[in-house]
Amino acid sequence: MAATASQGGRSGGGGGSSGAGGGPSCGTSSSRSGLLDKGREVFISIPVISLAMKKCNQGWKIDDKPVKIDKWDGSAVKNSLDDSAKKVLLEKYKYVENFGLIDGRLTICTISCFFAIVALIWDYMHPFPESKPVLALCVISYPFFFNEKSIFLVAHRKDPTGMDPDDIWQLSSSLKRFDDKYTLKLTFISGRTKQQREAEFTKSIAKFFDHSGTLVMDAYEPEISRLHDSLATERKIK
Amino acid sequence: MLSLDFLDDVRRMNKRQLYYQVLNFGMIVSSALMIWKGLMVITGSESPIVVVLSGSMEPAFHRGDLLFLTNRVEDPIRVGEIVVFRIEGREIPIVHRVLKIHEKQNGHIKFLTKGDNNAVDDRGLYKQGQHWLEKKDVVGRARGYYQENRSVEDRNCKLQV
Repeated sequence: MAATASQGGRSGGGGGSSGAGGGPSCGTSSSRSGLLDKGREVFISIPVISLAMKKCNQGWKIDDKPVKIDKWDGSAVKNSLDDSAKKVLLEKYKYVENFGLIDGRLTICTISCFFAIVALIWDYMHPFPESKPVLALCVISYPFFFNEKSIFLVAHRKDPTGMDPDDIWQLSSSLKRFDDKYTLKLTFISGRTKQQREAEFTKSIAKFFDHSGTLVMDAYEPEISRLHDSLATERKIK
Repeated sequence: MLSLDFLDDVRRMNKRQLYYQVLNFGMIVSSALMIWKGLMVITGSESPIVVVLSGSMEPAFHRGDLLFLTNRVEDPIRVGEIVVFRIEGREIPIVHRVLKIHEKQNGHIKFLTKGDNNAVDDRGLYKQGQHWLEKKDVVGRARGYYQENRSVEDRNCKLQV
């Protein structure tokens, strides 16, 4: 994203481009333009800046606003990192999300809640001693509905040549409670050979968030691209 | 400011994530419910944990103590045991000790209760015209109790099986 913005700046020509292009967020580019006080350069820099900002907005930001969360809240941190990883994979590499796994998990949880509600209503209709068998059934079957795998994205890429099986990419992550080390694991399952390869990285969340709790995509996105490329290139070599 | 952030969060979620949040909450409630129902099934009592509400069993139980109950058919009720029972038409369970029992050959019993700290037996509490309690009024027999520490000497948590 930064590269395209600076290219737009350079093509505009003139001294204004060095200030306008290459800012990490669109907000700072306008403040830098304020420094360019010389009349001629201001004249040239305005279309350059507007072009840069347009390119900025065309790039992927989550909801056009940098994500800001409470940096001490572990689950919010993990969720925002997961969502950003999802965005990178879906928007930059144009994969298609497969909702099958997520939907399956949602239905299983719904069924378990349903069992609990059935137990509650049955016990209300038939007071306790008669409802014992139904209650026992519901209580025993309830724990079987739990399945805590940490995969949060299954995406596949349609083979461009149209040959059948799609390659599948899976993302899973973990962040221990009160810990700062975030592990992201990317799994690649080739459609053709059914082989599975994985790559992961473990980094402190302090590397991706600034002091106010804003997720800095410029630090996060290269990590994900690196994971992705390491799996993709292996495939080409083979 | 706080409410705007929360609305932003909700807007950012698509409907799957929203449903997942609702489901998460539902799972927590269901888990608590299932644990309670599971206790009911295991102990056989419709209220496996009760709180002592009055001081009628002092010095054994004080107000606010927790009692763990079981209500198994094969355990007979004997004099001297502490039972939790409900009087017909009243909701609040009462924790008192069994004083007298009349038992028939077929196992049918009727019994009289009295609180340790009371001067008279419970006939005054029973329904109009009722002089004895029966098995069906019993919620459970006390098997263990938990008491918050009152003074250093009294601090205890005992469980007898």
